[in-house]
Amino acid sequence: MFARIGERGYFLRDIGRGVRDPATYGTETIRQMRNIGVDSLPLTAIVAAFIGAVTAFQTRYQLFGGVQLSVVGLISRQSIILELGPLLTGLVLTGRVGARITAEIGTMRVTEQIDALETLAYDPIAYLVVPRLIAALIMLPMLTILANAIGVGTAFLTAILATDVTSAAFSEGLRLAFAPFQIVYSIIKATLFGGAIAFFCSYEGYNTTAGAEGVGRSTAQAVVITSVAILVLDALTALLLAPYLQG
Amino acid sequence: MKKRDDVLVGIVMAVAVLVAIVGSLWLARGGLSKGYPLYAKFPWNSGLKQGQPVLLAGVNVGYVDEVDLRPDGTVLTTFRVGKDYKVPRGTVATVVANGIFGDMAIALTPKAPNPNSIPPEDTVPVGPSAPGIAQITSKADSIATSVNAMTTALNKQLIADGGVQDLRKALASSNALVLNMNRLVSQFSVIAAEQNRQLSMTQAALRRATSGIDSAKIDSTLSSIRTTSANMAQLSADFRLTAMKLDSVVAKANSGTGSVGLMLNDPGAYNDVRALIQHMDSLMADVKKNPRKYINLSIF
Repeated sequence: MFARIGERGYFLRDIGRGVRDPATYGTETIRQMRNIGVDSLPLTAIVAAFIGAVTAFQTRYQLFGGVQLSVVGLISRQSIILELGPLLTGLVLTGRVGARITAEIGTMRVTEQIDALETLAYDPIAYLVVPRLIAALIMLPMLTILANAIGVGTAFLTAILATDVTSAAFSEGLRLAFAPFQIVYSIIKATLFGGAIAFFCSYEGYNTTAGAEGVGRSTAQAVVITSVAILVLDALTALLLAPYLQG
Repeated sequence: MKKRDDVLVGIVMAVAVLVAIVGSLWLARGGLSKGYPLYAKFPWNSGLKQGQPVLLAGVNVGYVDEVDLRPDGTVLTTFRVGKDYKVPRGTVATVVANGIFGDMAIALTPKAPNPNSIPPEDTVPVGPSAPGIAQITSKADSIATSVNAMTTALNKQLIADGGVQDLRKALASSNALVLNMNRLVSQFSVIAAEQNRQLSMTQAALRRATSGIDSAKIDSTLSSIRTTSANMAQLSADFRLTAMKLDSVVAKANSGTGSVGLMLNDPGAYNDVRALIQHMDSLMADVKKNPRKYINLSIF
């Protein structure tokens, strides 16, 4: 186990070295931002929209009589911005982007394209991993912000169209005890999740062995490891930063 | 292709950043416009925090912007009111419960409509706060304690000290009493029925006696009574006339006119009568003393 941690530590060190070579990863980074960020936007938006709608609907019908309906807005905002937005975006992108990263790099590994890059004096980590890592670190927060907005928006629409919550009550709840750090908290989580996706999935792909079967195995393993890592990071950020969230 | 990637990535990032900024501002301030600030000093433990609503006469007009804890036992609260709203002078700020979960709000309560408004950055006077959920809970706790004490006392009185047994005995006695009362009532009912029966018989006898009376005789008797009554009335009138005449005679006598009046009212006549009586007395005495002086009886 410690050996595995050490191997990942070395990989992280190599990424640090690769970051010093922007000429190698500069152009590739934009392409990866497009792949990871722009192309994932529809899927992220659909997930966020449904999560927002379900959150508002479920919250409304869990309230017992006498509770003011603005609570629906408050709980929807807190659930989506603090937890569901970044977490579900991270998990969705683990499946869509992480698996792709592992499969791409793993295929390049088993087809010896990475060896070819090394032969051509390219740093394969700077060319393959660093752009994906930077793109994930930048685009995950962007997607999370948009997911939060879409989730809250659909929660608002669902609450006022499908339940007896008024727009004024929902808006009052949305603004209640809001602190700008809640947005920052959501972005911090998304950045960590983005880094985890790019790092663990690149590592698994980079260390793929045994041909096509190895690629499949690495991809599955990358998705599992990244998903667990995201959940662990989610818990850690909550433990460390939750005291600062109160408005 | 590369150019297109740049544009798409740029658009997504710009939109995300814009959404983050505008969304944060809207959530924190209720919009891009901050409104104007007002201040109020509430006591500690008011339960205020940033973002809570500010209600002017029940209408949401702003939000709590900042809460600053002061060492003098107060909380300096900065709240922002929308530019479209004016807070009339004489308004009092209080902290009120907003829902049942202990959330609070600032309620601005104007005493009366006033064209003059509190200017921005002024301090709104603070009124007495409504009881919060903690105070209500505390009161409920105290009530629960009292109820518990009452329950304990009742338990002692009714269970430990045998109060329930006493109550059962009392209820048994009451049952016996009620049974006796029922018997008594039934006896009264029998008596009442007997009385009722006898009254009915008496009524029937009366009805029979009434039917036996000759109405012609009754009419004749009534006619005689009516005649007697008329005679009595006439007699009464005669008496009244006689009395009037006597009154007139007595009045004359009292007035001293006429013979009787003179006799009754003249002192000279009275003296003459007295002298006459004295002479008669002395004469009678002399007659008794010397009868032969006056009576000389010779038969032969």
